[in-house]
Amino acid sequence: MQTKILLDEGEMPKRWYNIQADLPTPMDPPLHPATGKPMVPDDLRHIFPMELIRQEMSTERHIDIPGEVRDILTLWRPSPLYRARRLEAALKTPAKIYYKWEGVSPPGSHKPNSAIPQAYYNREAGIERLATETGAGQWGSSLAFATGLFDMECTVYMVRSSYDQKPYRKSMMQVYGAECIPSPSNKTRSGQAVLARDPDTPGSLGIAISEAVEDAAAHDNTNYALGSVLNHVCLHQTIIGQEAREQLAMVETYPDVIIGCVGGGTNFAGLTFPFAGDKMTGKHPETEIVAVEPAACPTLTKGLYAYDFGDVAGLTPMMRMFTLGHDFVPPAIHAGGLRYHGMSPLVSRLARDGVVRPVAYRQNEVFEAAVLFARTEGIIVAPEAAHAVKAAIDEALRCRETGDAKTILFNNSGHGNFDFSSYEAYFGGRLVDYEYPVELIKESLARLPATG
Amino acid sequence: MRTVGFLVNPIAGMGGAVGLSGTDGGVEEAVRRGAVPHAAVRAARTLSLLRDEDIAWCTCASPMGEDVLTGAGIDSYTVLYRPTVPTGAADTTAACRVFLAAGVDLIVFCGGDGTARDVFDAVGGEVPILGIPAGVKMYSAVFAVNPAAAADLVRRAGDIPCRDSEVMDVDEEAYRSGRLTARLYGYACVPFVPERIQGGKQVFEQQDEERAKDDIAAFITEIMLPETLYIIGAGSTTARVMERLGLAPTLLGVDAVVNAEIVASNADERTLLALLDEHPRAKIVVSPIGAQGFVLGRGNQQISPAVLRKAGLSNLIVVATPAKLAGTPLLYVDSGDAALDREVGDSMLVVSGYRMAQRKRVVHSE
Repeated sequence: MQTKILLDEGEMPKRWYNIQADLPTPMDPPLHPATGKPMVPDDLRHIFPMELIRQEMSTERHIDIPGEVRDILTLWRPSPLYRARRLEAALKTPAKIYYKWEGVSPPGSHKPNSAIPQAYYNREAGIERLATETGAGQWGSSLAFATGLFDMECTVYMVRSSYDQKPYRKSMMQVYGAECIPSPSNKTRSGQAVLARDPDTPGSLGIAISEAVEDAAAHDNTNYALGSVLNHVCLHQTIIGQEAREQLAMVETYPDVIIGCVGGGTNFAGLTFPFAGDKMTGKHPETEIVAVEPAACPTLTKGLYAYDFGDVAGLTPMMRMFTLGHDFVPPAIHAGGLRYHGMSPLVSRLARDGVVRPVAYRQNEVFEAAVLFARTEGIIVAPEAAHAVKAAIDEALRCRETGDAKTILFNNSGHGNFDFSSYEAYFGGRLVDYEYPVELIKESLARLPATG
Repeated sequence: MRTVGFLVNPIAGMGGAVGLSGTDGGVEEAVRRGAVPHAAVRAARTLSLLRDEDIAWCTCASPMGEDVLTGAGIDSYTVLYRPTVPTGAADTTAACRVFLAAGVDLIVFCGGDGTARDVFDAVGGEVPILGIPAGVKMYSAVFAVNPAAAADLVRRAGDIPCRDSEVMDVDEEAYRSGRLTARLYGYACVPFVPERIQGGKQVFEQQDEERAKDDIAAFITEIMLPETLYIIGAGSTTARVMERLGLAPTLLGVDAVVNAEIVASNADERTLLALLDEHPRAKIVVSPIGAQGFVLGRGNQQISPAVLRKAGLSNLIVVATPAKLAGTPLLYVDSGDAALDREVGDSMLVVSGYRMAQRKRVVHSE
């Protein structure tokens, strides 16, 4: 009875899969925030290297992974695929549950799959320093790790409330050699402006993005890096799904249901896009692909498909995506990585086209699932990944009712070893079941979030 | 050093043990049935935890405070008021007025709903008050959950914020005959410990009551439709909706609004039913009332089963601040119409911020 399905290092994918090649019609272009006209590559040159801009807009099906990047990825890749037999037994389900375990990366999540290539392409372009933001610290610690390996400097603007409350993520960035600054800071004009208005502000991701972008734009040797949402980030993550497809083929199976949690959408994209390509090109048209989001921030299930800004201040390009409105501030749920008003335009497009089916869960039921997972499979997952666990469990329970022996695959995107305060709140009965009041909001259609 | 006024209603809670539903106007009956004072025992548990604190105590002569202080090992205090025995509501209000004149920072009392109402009559919102629970009924939201929690709040008062807390007026005669009519009597200022809702990833201070009320009001006014009757229930959260519209709310009563204009202030049930005849499109906005979190049936009796049925339960919008919801794990409905209560279901969505709500479990008082 095999529990782990492992690939050799030599079997790690050599190319990323670009789903844009298999879309029936091209993506709608991002629009310039000032002019409202489609963006051209030059519009992004002051913050991104040309190769990443090319990947962002590419429609080639496969893009080679540079050798130097592959060498570094072997530090933890190929990541294991697990069969969750103990969870299956606990659920008394005929379903087979598999999960891809991305928590084996040094920073503990899928994020370095894109941090490594982003650092690489920036260094190749002669960039000496990267500026970025981090809410939870997953992306910040991943980029800190990546830039360290390429002898680059890294400045991470970390949302102040997290900076104060999650000291170990900050320490991790320091260990990797990055500078971690609580945001808002006095280092940027946008930070100074916020501090002048509200010296005690806890900060927000929107403010931190503004600071990082301003920092990158103000320094010739510095670029900006984003850990989610964008096409090239989704692209880099597809190594997850390509490995998983190979690993399942080794046990002669192909999944019926594929599940991932969605915030900005890239861990979901990483696992599911290779399978979504199979679905759209008719190789496996029946595969069900499920995106799991929090009921507190239900972008795909309750949002509008429209052009909107990627940040609160409206400085980023407008992208066509599912959105709750760029001025929507999600409540402080524990899955901080899923607190985003918008969604990857690629994931949004698949949801609109019906290739992906979204579902939403509330916090308490998600943690209940995570605890069952920990008590059967041992891994204490991050609150984000717990959303995928919950959906996988529900699917397996449906199989118990129908007697259907489906193969379920989900992305276990990261560990929860820095999230014990969340588990503590769950056991203390202090988790609030936030829910987006969509019926009330829809009642006044005229005043729905302005989306450009 | 902080100055704290302390008083005990020595007869509070005596009715409960002997099957009376309150001691107001029934103390002789309670004593005849063998009741013994237990408020002093409850208060002593709080005070014994505060023995070493740097507090200047002001109190009343026995049996309204001095005996409890000495019994708890506190021997430095000032007696400012001497009650007549047997003590009554007038003694509570008189003592509180003397405390206020002496410039106390906080008034701590031990009693039940009746005592809370008497303290509130004298104090209003002038200084914070805090109840050590000892009464038969405690529908008011001014009580600590137990004597130890009361001690903690007294110790930290001044360093922690206060929040508007409902004082409820319960008709004891009616209560003893099996009917609960609880009316919202007013809002006292009560210290509380903000529970930091600590996110694994993002941590926010979510317990800023005033900001939360503003956020709720901003959302509700944003979704208000034209040519629609809005019945705005009692309470300080719903009042903020009125204020945001530039209207004067009836804090303790029900207002009706159409097109951002008041069509009835402090409306009774009949007025509401007549308005519903005129305006077939209607929404009802209410907030949970009291320590237990009653959405229907307490404090908003004007919004009767007939009014609710006419407007339609689907048009009921419940609002509450995160701090209020943190203190009321369950919400209660007791409209007086069991079938209607059942229609509410097992959970409801409560608007708790701007474009945000919480799913809360509902208990039916059947």
